[in-house]
Amino acid sequence: MNKEFTCTIVSRRMISEDTAYLTISCPEIASSAIPGQFVNVSCSRFLKRPFGIAHTDTSNGTFDIGIKIVGDGTKELSDVSEGDTLNVLGPLGNGFDLSCADRFILVSGGTGVFPVNFAYEKLTESGKDVTLVQGFRDASQALMMREGAIITTDAGDLGIKGTCIAGLDTVDVSEGTVVCCVGPVPMMKAVGEWATGKGLRCFISMEQRMACGVGICLVCVCKIKAEEEGKPFEHVRCCKDGPVFDYKEIIL
Amino acid sequence: MSRLGVDIGNVSLKSPLILASGTCNFGHELSEYYDLSILGGLSSKGLTIRPRVGNEGVRVAETACGMLNSVGLQNPGVDYFIEHDLDYMRSLGTGVIVNVAGHSFDDYMAMIDKLDPHKDKIDALEINLSCPNVKAGCMSIGSDPEQIREIVSAMRKRTELPLWIKLTPNVTDIKATALAAQSAGADAVVLINTMLGMVIDIRTRRPVLHNNTGGYSGPGIKPVAVRMVAECSAVLDIPVIGCGGIMDYKDVIEFMIAGASAVEIGTASLVHPACPVDITRDLEDYCNVNNILIKELTGTLNIW
Repeated sequence: MNKEFTCTIVSRRMISEDTAYLTISCPEIASSAIPGQFVNVSCSRFLKRPFGIAHTDTSNGTFDIGIKIVGDGTKELSDVSEGDTLNVLGPLGNGFDLSCADRFILVSGGTGVFPVNFAYEKLTESGKDVTLVQGFRDASQALMMREGAIITTDAGDLGIKGTCIAGLDTVDVSEGTVVCCVGPVPMMKAVGEWATGKGLRCFISMEQRMACGVGICLVCVCKIKAEEEGKPFEHVRCCKDGPVFDYKEIIL
Repeated sequence: MSRLGVDIGNVSLKSPLILASGTCNFGHELSEYYDLSILGGLSSKGLTIRPRVGNEGVRVAETACGMLNSVGLQNPGVDYFIEHDLDYMRSLGTGVIVNVAGHSFDDYMAMIDKLDPHKDKIDALEINLSCPNVKAGCMSIGSDPEQIREIVSAMRKRTELPLWIKLTPNVTDIKATALAAQSAGADAVVLINTMLGMVIDIRTRRPVLHNNTGGYSGPGIKPVAVRMVAECSAVLDIPVIGCGGIMDYKDVIEFMIAGASAVEIGTASLVHPACPVDITRDLEDYCNVNNILIKELTGTLNIW
């Protein structure tokens, strides 16, 4: 049975002006989470807040999340102290299938840097060939940079100037490589088109305003192409059927 | 023996707790969190004669004491439900309530004709005359006593299945719509569906919901629901099922004192999916400590 966990904050630090990084104790989530999955975390506001899992440590029984402050709920959650407890549901969602290929290109933008970090760690642990492209607006927004990653900034004050496409264009692409991308929708669309143009499969992780996170309320839907002819689209649940979708199936 | 058994007319439920339509889908997801057989029943996602994709764009807006939704009755259609989900619901070991929605008189009749042949698998039909998120039918029918009478009496002629009529609070006089349902042969009324509301993003000066308005649910609407249950149970002979903002066992007891014979838990499941486990345990404790059967609470309100 899945359950809602009461978890203790092991550590909390600010990693940029508006982003906190929490390490949370929960052996069950740490041992079962896969990259691309998320947790839904209670705050004093009515609904929980969803966050992609950034890292797990199975020996210490902890997982990490990054919290970008966008409103009252995320502000409050970014302000927790070590030793505080939070109610957490998770791990939720489908996650990336990292067994589907031996070579991956991972691309992150914005808060997508967190789930992509988890995927990068799992892929390198398993010895797979992985190229990481991390796109940021400018140097002040650059977080979780990994050694060897291709860094791009829109402002050009760090790494390659331009979007992550400018970074992707420097990569030697080989057949059978799978692209996984998490970031804002316009960026995922650009990456999806880039991958399609190279004949590569691409998986993206969607973000929607969410309530339950477990698939019962149907508020966080995304559009996918309908199987039935004549039907313009179908709605699927971001939280339960996703958040990871095949780029060729989703309608952005 | 459990002290939690209740009767809704001829329907005996092991507990007064029913999962509200639209907050439990068909049970698959929540059964990953707890054994649904502890419940009195589960009310399916609102079903329509044809599949519906629901509303586009943002469908949820948070408030201080709850949320608005504008899902718009997204559902796979009644045929798919009968083929894929009804047997599963029956297998859960809890009451099977099928929520029936529609856009017109003919839609509702067609729904009854589809479901009646499966009556051995269904404990009650919950007739949704109250969804605020679709353009036609539902709430517009359910706010007019004359249309309620017409639709419910026609359903009554078509099926012997218990008919529970879920009413909208978006009316001036809830007693009038509840009495109309009763006079047309309803077996129970369910009070209340969501309240029509709006949340505005002050930055863009646009409604958060792309449907502009949505159904408000959660603890913020509980006093309205309790008031309506008290008003209606005072004038009705048929049972009332209370619904609106129940978060814990005290809320359940409050609704039952107001006159509810059972209750539905909705939005609470979206925040704490396994909350019925705690509520069930707390209700059992309450009944044991007070040495009562829970059904003895129904309608024990002493008004001033």
